[in-house]
Amino acid sequence: MERSANVEVEGKVRMRAYFIFIAKRAVQLLAVVFFGISAAFFITHLSPIDPVQQAILRITSRSSFSPTALVAMREALTEMYGMDQPLGTQFVNFWVRLLQGDLGPSLIAFPTPAMDLVLRALPWTVGLLVTAVIITWLLGNILGGLAGYYQNNKFLKAFGVVAMGLQPIPYYIVAFIVLIIFGFVWPVLPISGGYAMHVTPGWNIDFVMSVIRHATLPALSLVLVGMGLWFLGMRALVSNIITEDYVTYAETAGVDSKKIVGFYVIRNAVIPQLTALAMVLGGIFSGTVITEEVFSYPGLGSLLIQAVNGGDYTLVIAVTAIAITAVAGAIFVVDLLHPILDPRIRVE
Amino acid sequence: MSAILEVTNVSKRFAMGGILSRNYVNAVVDAGFTIEEDQPEVLTIVGESGSGKTTLARMILGLESISEGDIKVAGRSVSGRVNRAQRLSFMRHVQPVFQNPFEAFNPLKEVDRYLQASARVLLGATSRAQVEAAMDDALQKVGLSLAEVKGRFAHELSGGQLQRVAIARALIPNPAILVADEPVSMVDASLRMTIVNLLRDLRDQLGVTVIYITHDLATAYYISDRIIIMQEGYAVEMGPARVVLDAPEHPYAKLLKDSVLPVENAGKSRVQPADRKTAQAAAKLSGTGELVLRDDGRSVRLPRDGDGSVAV
Repeated sequence: MERSANVEVEGKVRMRAYFIFIAKRAVQLLAVVFFGISAAFFITHLSPIDPVQQAILRITSRSSFSPTALVAMREALTEMYGMDQPLGTQFVNFWVRLLQGDLGPSLIAFPTPAMDLVLRALPWTVGLLVTAVIITWLLGNILGGLAGYYQNNKFLKAFGVVAMGLQPIPYYIVAFIVLIIFGFVWPVLPISGGYAMHVTPGWNIDFVMSVIRHATLPALSLVLVGMGLWFLGMRALVSNIITEDYVTYAETAGVDSKKIVGFYVIRNAVIPQLTALAMVLGGIFSGTVITEEVFSYPGLGSLLIQAVNGGDYTLVIAVTAIAITAVAGAIFVVDLLHPILDPRIRVE
Repeated sequence: MSAILEVTNVSKRFAMGGILSRNYVNAVVDAGFTIEEDQPEVLTIVGESGSGKTTLARMILGLESISEGDIKVAGRSVSGRVNRAQRLSFMRHVQPVFQNPFEAFNPLKEVDRYLQASARVLLGATSRAQVEAAMDDALQKVGLSLAEVKGRFAHELSGGQLQRVAIARALIPNPAILVADEPVSMVDASLRMTIVNLLRDLRDQLGVTVIYITHDLATAYYISDRIIIMQEGYAVEMGPARVVLDAPEHPYAKLLKDSVLPVENAGKSRVQPADRKTAQAAAKLSGTGELVLRDDGRSVRLPRDGDGSVAV
């Protein structure tokens, strides 16, 4: 009885420690997001591309204006964009508005709120990238884990050679190879866009199928390039773990070999891979730029490039803010999972 | 009386190096001994690192393939391919205890999971009550109880406790033989004797034969019935522990005994390292000699010179 009471007390102490741990990490998360977004603010505002100049160029390219009208337009735009005030004031105003959920209007698609543009592009990027990263991670780790455990399997050995061969090829080369093979040589899949022109966006089967078909090539290119790293990493981790005494012990305790691979070997090897997954999920917003350019995919990457070229501060900041928050959030979640997955990580 | 474990002329050769420069290392050469079924004993295998004692143990456990010779457990050969049923039946007879208790348990699992698996698979316990009874029973034998270890992770227990849990796990299927590979070298010195005494009690009270592998001559002398002294893969001297250790004959066995710190020089730091030359010279000639059975029950491998006379 005394012992069970002890366990209960211990459990409560642990829960409390876990909540303190979460609170600390949450504060860190907020700090990272604040500094990240502030950095994005200053970098865009100190950039030599002047959004007012860009806007005037866009307008005057279609018709001519008198010099006085141009000056008036410049003044009006400067005031409207809030750029007549000193940088510090702009910064404070920016945060005040951001905390109310308002990032301001996009400058290239004025007056559409920048957030609307971002939210329109976000599902495409997240849908494509997260799916691709998770497929890559699962396939790479499962195959790598099996390859590490069953070291004499011919199929897995051959797979290792292929993975090692694909690994050093730059992503855009692989993407173009995939494009050429499935778009021209054997044209079975669409090579650009997010969905076919003739379908109506919404929850209907035609649209969903079209989205999946359009996402296949970009996803395939990402999986091909990404899988090798997971495969090789996991194989190396597993070939170390199988020599550990506790694996031999499980075998002499009569544990079934399938269970040993799953619960003793891969389970232990997966913890560092999970940390790495958080890092990669963090990287998807920078990786998406190339993918979306190659496949003309309507996601955040394409939007970001338009925004940078158009000197659209608010849109750049909106994309960056989403990216930073998502990355920090992903790492936060993985951090929270760690003490649950690994009992050795003591939360203090 | 029948033999539970027969080790006959067992050798192990490891290939080293790459494709172009392949070398072979003889880890164990021509080892042989027999353990009788109803005569529990502590059989100690001593030797320095690289002498082949761990390789021999791993071969007995079926964890390492055998290059030559044969190992039979309860009349059945363990070398070659075995199916799962045969392997399980083998593990009911022979169970291991390893050197480092901290590595013997999966750091991500509660230690009692191992006991559970053993009870279910090796003992065939089906109900929860049966499993727990088997676990508690085995833990009681090593001076612990289920309540103490249940739900604990390896990092929450001390080395001595963990090693005892490891022994308890090995005891669950009621094995005839326990292969303990340096079971005390990672355990705190103050707890070492509890483990050694535990091994002794297993022999005396439960009738388990312990193959005790160590490089510590003091504990070997303390609990062994029989001893095998190994040097560079060869069993150089073997026989009744007292006979061999009181007056070793082989140069390496003598060296081992000389290397035990003498009590009379305590605190004076005056002990010179024992002279290894004779023993090393004998090791080079090990391949030329054969084990010769003496009247006092021991066998000694005395190297011979070219003319066939005993060299040392």
